[in-house]
Amino acid sequence: MVDAMRTQRWLRAVVGTLALLAIIFSATAVVVREGQAVLITRFGRPLRAATQAGLHWKLPWPIDAEISLDMRRRVYETGQTEMLTRDKKNIIARTFVVWRIGDPLTFTQSIGNEGAAEGKLDGLMTNAAIGTLGGHDLSALVSTNPSDLQVDQIESELLASTAPMALRNYGVTVEQIRLDRLALPAENVTAVFGQMRAERRQFAAKFEAEGQREASRIRSEADLEAARIRAKGSEEQARILGESAAQVARVYADAHKIDPELYRFTRSLDSLDKLVTNNTSLILRTDSEPFSLLQNKGGK
Amino acid sequence: MRGQKLPSEIGQFVAPISSLLDGAWQRMHWWVATMAVLYALSGITIVKSDEVAVVLRWGHLVGDTPALQEHGPGLLFAFPRPVDEVVRVQVKRVWEVAVTTLASGDYTAASSASPQTRQGPVPEPENEDADEELMSPIPGNTLDPLTQGYALTGDENIVHAEMVARYRVRDPGEWAFYGPKAEDVLRVEVTAAMIRSLGEMGVDRVLSDGRKDLIAQAARRAQAGLDASHSGLELSSLELTRLAPPFALVEDFDAVQSAFISAETDKKDAQAYRESAVPAVQAEMDSQNQAARGATSNALAVAHGDAEAFRALDREYRANPAVVRERLYRDAVDRALASASKIRWVPPPIGGSYRGMRITVGQSETGP
Repeated sequence: MVDAMRTQRWLRAVVGTLALLAIIFSATAVVVREGQAVLITRFGRPLRAATQAGLHWKLPWPIDAEISLDMRRRVYETGQTEMLTRDKKNIIARTFVVWRIGDPLTFTQSIGNEGAAEGKLDGLMTNAAIGTLGGHDLSALVSTNPSDLQVDQIESELLASTAPMALRNYGVTVEQIRLDRLALPAENVTAVFGQMRAERRQFAAKFEAEGQREASRIRSEADLEAARIRAKGSEEQARILGESAAQVARVYADAHKIDPELYRFTRSLDSLDKLVTNNTSLILRTDSEPFSLLQNKGGK
Repeated sequence: MRGQKLPSEIGQFVAPISSLLDGAWQRMHWWVATMAVLYALSGITIVKSDEVAVVLRWGHLVGDTPALQEHGPGLLFAFPRPVDEVVRVQVKRVWEVAVTTLASGDYTAASSASPQTRQGPVPEPENEDADEELMSPIPGNTLDPLTQGYALTGDENIVHAEMVARYRVRDPGEWAFYGPKAEDVLRVEVTAAMIRSLGEMGVDRVLSDGRKDLIAQAARRAQAGLDASHSGLELSSLELTRLAPPFALVEDFDAVQSAFISAETDKKDAQAYRESAVPAVQAEMDSQNQAARGATSNALAVAHGDAEAFRALDREYRANPAVVRERLYRDAVDRALASASKIRWVPPPIGGSYRGMRITVGQSETGP
């Protein structure tokens, strides 16, 4: 019985102590989550900013109070602004900023909330863009010649001219500034359209002319090649026939030279064959053969 | 005295609470115990197959490196809140965002009502009429920079571009706690990368063979921007779903395309002519050469035959010259008499000559 009473008393003490510690902990502990900062104020006066994630401490309310701030990065696009480049060309540019709260105390005191911060950034960015782009030609932004392009430099200049002021005045850290729109005023677009149209017509005419020229060249080359082949073929045929005639002549000569007299005799007979055709009329004497054979009764 | 009195006063104050707790404990101690156990186990989390989890202990990320911070799929043991907080991130899933900030309203108004185009600093139309105007085709000879997106190419031409960016979370810690909103940062970084990449290429290259380079360049720059803004995102792919000249110039660009195709057709026709004409002539010449070779062989064969025949005749002639000569002569005379169309016989001349004999050539049937 006494043991039970003692156990119960011990249990009470443990529960009571835990409850008391929990109350003290919740009143004094400040849990700063990753991506957050907590500004601790004492009687309303900012005391310190806890920017490192983890467990921090404060005095209990109403002495100290905490204000949580979202330290995540944010993206803000400025409005589109018309400006003049150094070579006096009107362009419309827009930039975007990646920013975060850099100094929670200054941020809370000077601005207080995200929307107001972006309003301030817009003004800063617009002024910086007008000033910076006014110092560069349009070819620094768009050009097919890589040596003209200076976009990295322009963006660095924009960052250099706004980031220190944004941090000092508003507690905002500007981490990145980039151009995300380059356009022309509506009236200039008409002129660009005219230029593009003329360029297209020029290209169309050029393609057509080039096509015809190339086709003509190919056909001419083909005709020339055909003529060359024909000439070479004719030459080859002449050579074949010539060689053939020589060979034939050699064969006949080799044969006939063994008995030229017989050759002459047979050639004479051949000539006679060729001489007498079905259009030939022969006049023979009756005392010549074979008529004479009839008269002499068998040639006797 | 004071030391003994004080506890009794506290005891008097605590006694009712104590008896209340005793009573509650007596009646609900199993419930309380169960709840305490459940609370103790509430930190145990199941991480799904496409997720990783990171643990915040008193708000601080546990682990010094990303490899130590991230916990893969499976059972994750953590302390209950407020000590630990488990944040799960879908790292394997690929998300998609349409980027239409450089698209013209006349092409895409009907299909681009995505949140990405509606938010942002491009001024929204102030009334319904303006909205309708944006939705309708604009055949005009200009573009309104406030309502119609486009980009300038390196040769100061104008093109419209629509893109689809696919991305996934690469660094869960950075993305979950420090990075900007994924869709916001993707839209601006991809747009900035694209206007930068278009701004260094000529319109003809962009619209023809340079498209692949353009996408690669823009994707590389967009990823560099995402890294610089600590987004914790990885651009899986960047797809250019539309890249076109302004609506008002489509016909002019088409005309160039037609001229190009026509020129290519002319060239191909000429090449086809070359491919057929040259081999045809070659074949004709080959055929004639073959015919000449055939004729040569034939003539040579005839010559050899004749020569052989002559040699045979000569052998006979040498053996019996008079007989062979006579036979040849007689055969020739026979052939001549057989071939001749007419034969006239005349008596031998008187006194060695013909006198008063007339030979008529032609139709006369009369003899001398």
